[in-house]
Amino acid sequence: MPGIVVGIDGSTCSNMAVAEGAVLAGELGEKLYVVFGYEPYRAGGEIQDHRLALEELGLQVGNKAVEEAKEAGADAELMLVDRDSVDALIATADEVDARMIVVGSYGDSPLKGAILGSTPHKLVHLSKRPVLVVHGKEED
Amino acid sequence: MSVPDSVPPAGSGDGPSRGAKGLRSNAIGFVSSTVIGVASTAPGYSLAATLGFVAAAVGFQSPAIMIVAFIPMLFIATSYFYMNRADPDCGTTFTWVTKAMGPRAGWMGGWAIIVADVIVMANLAQIAGLYSYELVGWTAAAESTWAVTFLGVLWILLMTWIVGRSVELSAKTQNWLLGAELATLGAFAVVALYKVYADSPPGSVEPSLSWINPFAIDSFSALVSGVLLAVFIYWGWDSTVTVNEETKDSSRTPGLGALTATVILVLTYVIVSVAAQAYGGVDQLVENSDDVLSSLGTAVFGSPWDKILIIAVLTSAAASTQTTILPTARTSLSMARAKALPEKFGEVHERFFTPFFSTWVMGISSIVWYVGLTLLSENILYDSIAALGLMIAFYYGITGFACAIYYRRELLKSAKNFFFIGVCPVLGALMLTGILVKSVIDLSDPANSESGDSWLGLGPPLVIAILFAVIGLGLMLYWNKVSPVFFKRKPEVADPAVLTGEKQAVASFAAEED
Repeated sequence: MPGIVVGIDGSTCSNMAVAEGAVLAGELGEKLYVVFGYEPYRAGGEIQDHRLALEELGLQVGNKAVEEAKEAGADAELMLVDRDSVDALIATADEVDARMIVVGSYGDSPLKGAILGSTPHKLVHLSKRPVLVVHGKEED
Repeated sequence: MSVPDSVPPAGSGDGPSRGAKGLRSNAIGFVSSTVIGVASTAPGYSLAATLGFVAAAVGFQSPAIMIVAFIPMLFIATSYFYMNRADPDCGTTFTWVTKAMGPRAGWMGGWAIIVADVIVMANLAQIAGLYSYELVGWTAAAESTWAVTFLGVLWILLMTWIVGRSVELSAKTQNWLLGAELATLGAFAVVALYKVYADSPPGSVEPSLSWINPFAIDSFSALVSGVLLAVFIYWGWDSTVTVNEETKDSSRTPGLGALTATVILVLTYVIVSVAAQAYGGVDQLVENSDDVLSSLGTAVFGSPWDKILIIAVLTSAAASTQTTILPTARTSLSMARAKALPEKFGEVHERFFTPFFSTWVMGISSIVWYVGLTLLSENILYDSIAALGLMIAFYYGITGFACAIYYRRELLKSAKNFFFIGVCPVLGALMLTGILVKSVIDLSDPANSESGDSWLGLGPPLVIAILFAVIGLGLMLYWNKVSPVFFKRKPEVADPAVLTGEKQAVASFAAEED
């Protein structure tokens, strides 16, 4: 049974993606894999505590996302992957043979995305599986 | 973009446990580990800042010093290697020294790292500001202290913003800067050596094998002063060892990246110093010791190609600002997670995934230090570099001792243990302690400082170092009062199973407490 992979970070923007993914997964009767991909930049060393802090953030926001997805009627599971978010999503989708990948977009301009790194942008080009980009707005 | 063999789920059933331990880390590639190793050491800036002073101490044997200075670093690196093995969850002097020698020693070790980094950022910013003006040929601005300081502050802000804002942009910036730095240094060495052999310009000397022979240095004291200066050039190299050790579980050849980075560094230092003194002779280096490379650039390349070396130093200073903020912010993050600093420092940004707060505190502290010092006197800025050497020697030295202490029960179990975990780290630590003591003695004489000022009868660099040690002690006592949890920690001893590889210790402070 293929599933759906949804990518999250710690921001509220990814909630939109989780909500969309949960509805789709619920309707299809498939599993929703909530993926939190993170990887500190290694230059300068001393990364391990940084990594643990990210892991804690992932558990915290991930568990919340899983709860919300379950409320929306999906069978959801959290996966923390110690990799860059794009790599993490593609690898996990391959691993579970996912039907599609769902991510949120902040609606940043393409130029900003090219400079700072944009997960949806890269994912659309690199993933061999269908990618659904949900426009989320940042609420602070 | 590589794809892993598999990504095991973080947990199963209803909610994931702290199962992320079972996750496979992304094995770091050969190229990225090499880049990180070289970048963390910032060769271009190190050479520009020290070559002239090394030449003043040892004459034609500067290239030999570049090799000899590597020896204490190599010894200290063995302690990084073994401490990292015992505690792969943490890669900091702070954590290891706390484990081996107790929380107070550990706290001061962490403090020394933070202070050294904050101080060096001011010097890097100064170089970046100055060279930006030189690059565009705006001499009036380059000669104005305030114009340089203004641009230097902008450089710190830019680099802090990059590091705090985006992991990807940090990596991209670093790769470009490092590429430009190595390419320009390489071009310099090739052109300078070619001209020495082809045209033999006035003042040039053909390279001789004795240049790389440390025994050709006539006095022991000169050798020590040279090594003291040159230890600075390998500062940061230790992260090569710890970053690469993480690849040990992967199928990739571990350590190959570290080895390559090291060879690139040593070769860069030796070849560029050979080329520099072959072209202009020792006197030329000594006379321009504040800024060796840009003065040589004009002579070697002629206008407008002389901008090439300006680019080398500028990119190196900028890259180095970045690789300085990164570990500093992470050290304060580690300390906060161990409850040795306020909790806020331990937070990561929910979207950017960086230690956002820590990063900006370090960036702003550097700016305050930089502007404050410039207000006092510009020479003090150079004096602070000498103070920096004391702090680096202190925290590297204490890490070496910590390794032998932590593993004390394992040392006599095999000859290999004794040599690599006992002898090497302690020898490295003793060398650095020796260097520390000798420079404290030297710096107590005000005449030996850049400014020549006398503060309370001592040289400013020593006063700066003492001042920061006192501030550190004060803050530690204050924090001990506010939040005593961390300071109740007892020193630990290594688990024997760690060395035999039967067990990989996973305990970090934060994990233990959860």
